[in-house]
Amino acid sequence: MVTYLVRRLLFMVPTLLGITLMVFMLLALAPGGIGASMQAAGGQGNTTGIAQQQAYLEDRYGLSDPVIVQYVRWLSRISPIKFGQRDVRTPRGERISIPRPIPDPSLTSVFPPPRKPQVVFTPSTGDQVIPEFKLLQRDSEGSRREYVGSMRIFRDALADVARVVGPPLVGRLDGKGGAKPSDFDDLLPVLIAAQESAAREAVSQPSVQATERVRQLADARLKLFEAVHSMHTKWSRAEETRQRATIAFMANPYPQSGVPIIPDVITLDTSDFGVAFSKNRPVWDLIIDALPVTLLINLIAFPISYLIAVPTGVMASVRKGNWFDLLTGVLYLSLYSIPTVLAGVFAIGFLANNQYLGLFPVSGLHATTADAMPFLPSRDVAGVWQVGWLGDLLWHVALPVLCLTYGSFAILSKQTRASMLDNLSADYVRTAKAKGVPRNDVVVRHVFRNSLLPLITMFVGIFPAMLGGSVVVERIFSVPGMGSLVLDAISNNDRDLILADVLMIAVVNVAALLVADILYAVADPRVSYE
Amino acid sequence: MRNGFGFKDFVMIVLLFAVAIGMWLSMVQRDRQWELLQRVDGRLMDLEKRLLQVRSTAAMAPISNSPATQLANSNGDAWARPGVKVNHWPAPSPATDPTEVPGFAAGGEFVELFEAQPAKVVPYIASDVYATRVLDRVCESLGTFDPKTLKMVGQLSDGWQIDPDGLWIRVHINPAAHFSDGQPVTSEDVRWTYMDFINNPLIEAERTRSTQDNLKEVKVIDDLTVEFRFQDALFTNILIALGDPILPKHYYSKFEPSQINQATGLMTGSGPFRMAKLPKGPDDLSNQWTPGEDVVLVRNEQYWSAPAPLAGLRFRTIKDDLGRLVAYRNGEGSMMLPTSPQFNKVTKEEPDFEKSSYALRWVNMRCGYSFIAWQCGPRAGKRMTPFADARVRRAMTLLLDREKMIRDIWDGIGIVSKGPMNPESPGSDPAVSPLPYDLEQAKALLAQAGWKDRDGDGILENDKGDKFTFEYTYATGGEISERIARFVKDSCVKAGIVMTTRPVDWSRYQELLKLRDFDAITMGWSATSPESDPRQIWHSESTKEGGDNFTQWINKDCDALIEKGRRTMVEADRMMVWRAFEACVAADQPYTFLRVAPWLRFVKRDFGNVNPYRTGLEPQEFFRVSPTPAMN
Repeated sequence: MVTYLVRRLLFMVPTLLGITLMVFMLLALAPGGIGASMQAAGGQGNTTGIAQQQAYLEDRYGLSDPVIVQYVRWLSRISPIKFGQRDVRTPRGERISIPRPIPDPSLTSVFPPPRKPQVVFTPSTGDQVIPEFKLLQRDSEGSRREYVGSMRIFRDALADVARVVGPPLVGRLDGKGGAKPSDFDDLLPVLIAAQESAAREAVSQPSVQATERVRQLADARLKLFEAVHSMHTKWSRAEETRQRATIAFMANPYPQSGVPIIPDVITLDTSDFGVAFSKNRPVWDLIIDALPVTLLINLIAFPISYLIAVPTGVMASVRKGNWFDLLTGVLYLSLYSIPTVLAGVFAIGFLANNQYLGLFPVSGLHATTADAMPFLPSRDVAGVWQVGWLGDLLWHVALPVLCLTYGSFAILSKQTRASMLDNLSADYVRTAKAKGVPRNDVVVRHVFRNSLLPLITMFVGIFPAMLGGSVVVERIFSVPGMGSLVLDAISNNDRDLILADVLMIAVVNVAALLVADILYAVADPRVSYE
Repeated sequence: MRNGFGFKDFVMIVLLFAVAIGMWLSMVQRDRQWELLQRVDGRLMDLEKRLLQVRSTAAMAPISNSPATQLANSNGDAWARPGVKVNHWPAPSPATDPTEVPGFAAGGEFVELFEAQPAKVVPYIASDVYATRVLDRVCESLGTFDPKTLKMVGQLSDGWQIDPDGLWIRVHINPAAHFSDGQPVTSEDVRWTYMDFINNPLIEAERTRSTQDNLKEVKVIDDLTVEFRFQDALFTNILIALGDPILPKHYYSKFEPSQINQATGLMTGSGPFRMAKLPKGPDDLSNQWTPGEDVVLVRNEQYWSAPAPLAGLRFRTIKDDLGRLVAYRNGEGSMMLPTSPQFNKVTKEEPDFEKSSYALRWVNMRCGYSFIAWQCGPRAGKRMTPFADARVRRAMTLLLDREKMIRDIWDGIGIVSKGPMNPESPGSDPAVSPLPYDLEQAKALLAQAGWKDRDGDGILENDKGDKFTFEYTYATGGEISERIARFVKDSCVKAGIVMTTRPVDWSRYQELLKLRDFDAITMGWSATSPESDPRQIWHSESTKEGGDNFTQWINKDCDALIEKGRRTMVEADRMMVWRAFEACVAADQPYTFLRVAPWLRFVKRDFGNVNPYRTGLEPQEFFRVSPTPAMN
């Protein structure tokens, strides 16, 4: 049994890797990407501002790297085993990593960058450590942002030069009219040749177009050189502030985080699920907010559906073919065939609408006055019974729970009925009946217990479904649960949030299947994994 | 002989469970009572503290009202730079005084129903429209748009000077202004908001920061005077300096940048309402609004100007359209935004509806417009489309009956848009009307441009024999865009033009915009203020990567007008430039402007002083007409 468990657990790792890799690739293939949902509203900000902002975000989330690099980086974030310098942790629990290395300036073969600054800097001690580190951190982040923006401006200037020069440079632009700097190693000779030929033409055959071309070339070249200069200055500054911040970081302004295995090489630390950029909050916080709501609704819904469906299934099988069997069969199947969307709309339109029945609230989990309510039903000052906070909550979740349960009756009760019927016709049942065991004992103790196996499989499948949340029900009733979260994440292409959701659902799924297998062994002595 | 699990055992276990759950529930009950007590206690302490503050200000009052101070004030603006005109402003007051409206009463809660959940309500860090609606009630900026005239008037400021050359703006803060915790608003708060909050790279205020590239520094002159200095003379400087909410430094500087970035409900300011749940400090961060709850605002009892009549505002999210309407009818909401069919159905088929509700429909400065954009440049950098010719674009507009489109597609709700300016803005010339629907003139223009039916098959050809066909791209997911596509297709057939459609997903759509890979595309622009910088959408510079001039429309006259308008600091002059710009765009028709979408709102008649202004609605002026007895 133990070997079996270990083997199953080890198999989980490649399965999870496969699932996340696949989702990651699909996300990378999706058009638009992260930038699509981060675009400024339009009509505000200037072109360079937006380009710079995008460059900064790309740098921050590493979006311009190859997909596989991004995937490995994501894995190393969520993995509890960390490599390299240990992070530090502020007293408030925020984790700070060592400042990232600054990317080199573009096209160094044509425009050699200035010498890399080497900062000699002694961090202060005592009370000043933390404020100084904060200041350096801020400087470093700010100058990095400016540098990354200046790289984008340089690329635009390069693309402009290519467009003005024309062939052969213009052919190297990509589909979006952007330039990849490394393709422009021969930039200066080509540019100078173009300028010379333009100048010669302007002298030999003076025309408005010829002079215009000379001017355009000169303009584009000037802009390019300005961009190079600004990129280099900003690079020096970014490098300098990064080195300072790194030195201050190495002086450990805060206690180090995690448990070292080999100091500063391998560390055990908690997983970091990242930040959901569409909501600008840590993914974990979002899940913690949404999960209890979904669990609450499901934990109410599932016992109800089991308590109703299983006994009726048993009764239907015992009285196979009589009126009860037919009635529940027809009723459950007709419920099953009502789409949840329609049921939800009808529930709101008739059960909740004051113009009709108005029995239930329409949305949310609490009434507006819920904060002031006592927890349990109690008498208020005037002696009138009040429903209380708990009652109010149950009243609010009634309709979502109804919509979640009614469809599952058919599957559960039919499944119970079928496996009961299988067993009822078995030889041991006839023997028991012949022995004179009371009918109820035969049904409950012999047949029902043996019919539990398929129900176990179905029961375990519930948990992953609970984590996923019910997208439709949560949307119709404005329930802020996991379903709404996943839906939002997908429509915003929010990578970290989608991946965390997928990972959680995958883990729970795999674990649930394992639990199902173990439960089989417990419920049925014939099953063994030795 | 059975020793198995019997019915009695079952009953016993159930009973045991029931007792255990009962005990646990009663413990929770006690806990809640304890928490309630704590809250009441906290509020009491708060009140005591405020009482002390009031007492000490009362003691200080004779000093602050001494003749010397008054003299400095009446001497006129010791704070001002000499020789430049000063605009003086009174303290903010309601545009329509609610106390003079019959039936006025104080108190009551106003519940606004949101269509989507804001992810967070933190100034500058949250940027969606819902967070902004909350922000507008809680925070104030130095200036604001007057609801009736749409002119920039003082809010926290009682006077300002604008450099005629546009390089600086000096603002004086109203000495009476204070934040909702009683601390005065000072020039240091202003400087801190701009330099150490918005422009702090560790704070994720990217969106606002990218609009402030032109801001060089904010300098504190004295306690109540601050000067904004800019690199370049642009009219947007005024919006930057006066339009962004001012945050209390003493409150926000208690938090680490990362805490502010990740907070969900850290919003406080000097406005007429304040958040009901607000952390006192970094150790109290669990006491803040989180998504999933209603956003609850309570009246700022210490508001420094006329207090709001309502005791509180509540924002509740109901995503489902039907659910929202039912909740509104059931009284779970006081205001909602109906869909066009809902608005029509209710106002036309239910005569009783307007007895209990205002059904409001009006155009204001926040109304955007929808349009069809024609590809004026090379598509995806390769071939030219027929729309490169301005005559063809004009013809396209002429052959679309936009009145009919609004009637058939938008249920008659909307007005025909005539240009890039909001029709309420003074920058839009009221004398100009949109191009008419005129099929004959359209055909004549097309013929002029060389598009004629040369082979008699009913489809237009140019002189090379190419047929007039184009591809129409729209984002899937909305019935409206499909109906527009069908309408445009039918209209084109009448003129002998073949249109194919390409429905694409929204993210793919955005990529196509960036690549300029389309012939014609439909979309809408939103608006937040009476004027915005047109450069981003209309200037030829914005045809480059990242710019929103995705039609690649280049018009040198228009470029010149945009540059001139951006550098005109005097509002009235600038508006004249914008009118010329509007005419320039209208003549060239890079877009066919379709419709300005008016605001639709249902508001319960339980509330009074509900006025549709040119800025939108102002809930701080509302009051509850007949306060119904509390629910419990």
